[in-house]
Amino acid sequence: MIQLQDLHKSFTTKKTVVKAVDGVSFEARDGEITGLLGPNGAGKTTTLRMLYTLMKPDSGKVLVDGVDVADDPESARRALGVLPDARGVYKRLTARENIAYFGELHGLDAATIAQRTERLAQALNMQDFLDRRTEGFSQGQRTKTAIARALVHDPRNVILDEPTNGLDVMTTRGLREFLKQLRGEGRCVVFSSHIMQEVAALCDRIVIVARGQVVAAGTADELRALTGEENLEDAFVKAIGSEEGLHA
Amino acid sequence: MKSAPLKSIGAMWTVMRKELRDIFRDRRTLILALGLSPLLTPILIIGLGTLGESRARSQSEKPLELPVVGREHAPNLMAWLEGQNVVLKAPPKNINAAIANQEEDVILRVGPDFPTQWRKSLPAPLEIIHDSTRQDAQIPVQRLQTLLAGYGGQTGSLRLLARGISPGTATAIQIRQTDLATPEAQRGKMLSFILPYFLIISAFLGGASLILDATAGERERQSLEPLLATPAPRGAIVSGKIAAACTLALVSLLLTLLAFKLGALLSPTVGRQMEVSFMAIARLVLILVPMVFIGTTLLTYLAASAKSMKEAQSHMTWLMLLPMLPTIVLIVNPVKTQMWQFAVPFLAQNQMILKVVRGEVITAQQWAIYLGAGFGLAAILWFAATRRYQQEQLAISG
Repeated sequence: MIQLQDLHKSFTTKKTVVKAVDGVSFEARDGEITGLLGPNGAGKTTTLRMLYTLMKPDSGKVLVDGVDVADDPESARRALGVLPDARGVYKRLTARENIAYFGELHGLDAATIAQRTERLAQALNMQDFLDRRTEGFSQGQRTKTAIARALVHDPRNVILDEPTNGLDVMTTRGLREFLKQLRGEGRCVVFSSHIMQEVAALCDRIVIVARGQVVAAGTADELRALTGEENLEDAFVKAIGSEEGLHA
Repeated sequence: MKSAPLKSIGAMWTVMRKELRDIFRDRRTLILALGLSPLLTPILIIGLGTLGESRARSQSEKPLELPVVGREHAPNLMAWLEGQNVVLKAPPKNINAAIANQEEDVILRVGPDFPTQWRKSLPAPLEIIHDSTRQDAQIPVQRLQTLLAGYGGQTGSLRLLARGISPGTATAIQIRQTDLATPEAQRGKMLSFILPYFLIISAFLGGASLILDATAGERERQSLEPLLATPAPRGAIVSGKIAAACTLALVSLLLTLLAFKLGALLSPTVGRQMEVSFMAIARLVLILVPMVFIGTTLLTYLAASAKSMKEAQSHMTWLMLLPMLPTIVLIVNPVKTQMWQFAVPFLAQNQMILKVVRGEVITAQQWAIYLGAGFGLAAILWFAATRRYQQEQLAISG
C-alpha cells in the first residue's frame, strides 16, 4: 500500500525554476495495479523517484505500508522493489550474479537468493540466459534482469518506471502476465507509462499526470464517466488537454 | 535483525567483492592497472641508473677529444695535454655553430698573444668555449678546467722556484674538501629524483582505473540509480568501492616494489646505489599506504562530482603532475629537512622515500607526524567522498 500526499518538487536551473511535480496525490492499493499515465515530461519519473526515496520532496508526504518514508527511508527501500528509469546492469557479471549482488545488498543469505532467483527466472522466462554475462544482452533480456534484481528481496510493493520501454510485443505480453501474477500474489504494483493502450490493458486504477499535477484518477470506467467520453483514448486526451503522448 | 554498523560492513564487503570481481573479468584493464607499473618502474629506474653511471664513467675515463684553436701558439701546453689523456683535434670552421649543434662539447682557444705574454711571465690568455646548460658537456668541461688549472699551477711554481721563492708563498690558502655525504646518499643522487615520483604515482593513481569505472562509469552506465535504491547505506557503498580500488592499488604497489627488488638484484649498479633490503621495502610500503588512500579517496570525490566519465578522466592530467611538484620545487629551491615537511603531502612521501633508499634513520617523531598527517588527510577526503554520495543529484544520470 502506497500513499502519496500532495508532493511538490522543483529544480533550479541556471535561469529558471522548473516545477517538475506540483501537488501529486494518489493511493495505490495492495492487490491492484495502479498505472501512472502521462505524456513525456509530465513528472512521472520525478514522482516515482520521491516515492522510492531517491529524492526528497520539497513538501508533501509518501507513506509505504503506512510508514512515512522520510522517517525511515531504509525500511521503505526494503518494502519496495524498484525498476528505475535507469536500468543499467553490470555487463561483466552474469544475470544471476547481477541478481545475487542486489540480494546481498538487501542482506539476504545465499540459499534465499538462489531460491528467489530460480523462482523469478521461471516467472520471467530467463532460464536461457541466466548464466550468461549480460554484455550483449537484448533490451528485453536486460529489462528482465533488472526486474528480477529489483524483486529479489520479495517486496510487498513493486514500482516500475516505464517497464515496457523498448521491448518487443512478445516480451511486453510476457511482462504483462508477470505483473498480473504479482497482483495475484496480493502485491501493490505501480507502473508508469506514456502509452495509453498499455495502461488500459493492465491497470485496475489509472492516475493521469500532466504538467506535474494529477488531472484525473480512477478506474477506466470512472475515467470515461468523468470525462464524458466513450473511448478511453479520447478520455485521456481530454484529461491532459492535448494530443501529445498518444503517438509514442 | 543485524545491528547498523554490522550491516554497513556487510554492504561494504559485498560492494568491494563485486567491484573486484568486475575488474578481474576485465582482463585488459586489469593487466594495465596491475602490470604496467611493476614492469615499467624497474626498467626505467634500473635502465636509467645503469645508463647514467656507465656514461659518467666513460666520459671521465675515455681520452678527452679536444678541438683547439691556435694550437701553434702554445706547443708546450699542447704536448703536456697530450700526455694527460687528451686527443687534440683541428677546430671546426664555425665554432659557435659547432657548440650550438652539439657537435663539440668543449673547444679550447689559445689567444694570438699567448706566446708574448708567456715569455714575459704574464698571465697568458686561454678561452674555454662551451654551453653551460648542456648536461652531458659538464664532465668534459670540468676535466679540461682541472687540467688547465693543474698546468698553470705547475708552471707558476716552477717560475717561483727559478726566482728563488718558495711556491708556498704564492699559495695563501690551501683548500681541501671533506664530503660528509654517506656513500649510499652519494650513489643514490641520480635516482633520488626519479624513484620517489614513480613510487608515489603508482600508489597515488594505482586504483584510478577501478574507482573511475566504479563511480563515474557506473553512473554513466545507468546502474547507480538502482544501486542507490537498495537499503544499503550510501556511505557503505562508496566505502566498498574505495576499499576495492585501494586493494588493487596496494597489489600494484607491492608488485612494483618486488619487481624493483628483483631488478636491483639483477642490475650491477642499482644494488650498490640504493638500500633495497626487504626491511627497506617494508618501510616503503608503510610510507606509500597513506598515499594509496589519499589518491583513491580524492579520485572518488572528483569522479562523484563529474558529469561524465570523460570529465572524470580529464582530472588525471593534473593529478599525474601533482606528485612531481615537490621534486621540481626541490630542484629549484633545495630546502633543509624540517619537521613540517613530513606533514605536506607528496613532499613528505618524497622525503621519506629518499631517507629509506639512502639508508638514513627516520625518527619515531617523523614517523608519527608523517603517518598522522597522511591518514588524517585520507580520512578527510574519505568523509568528503561519502558526503558527495549523499547528494540527491548524484544518483540521477542523464
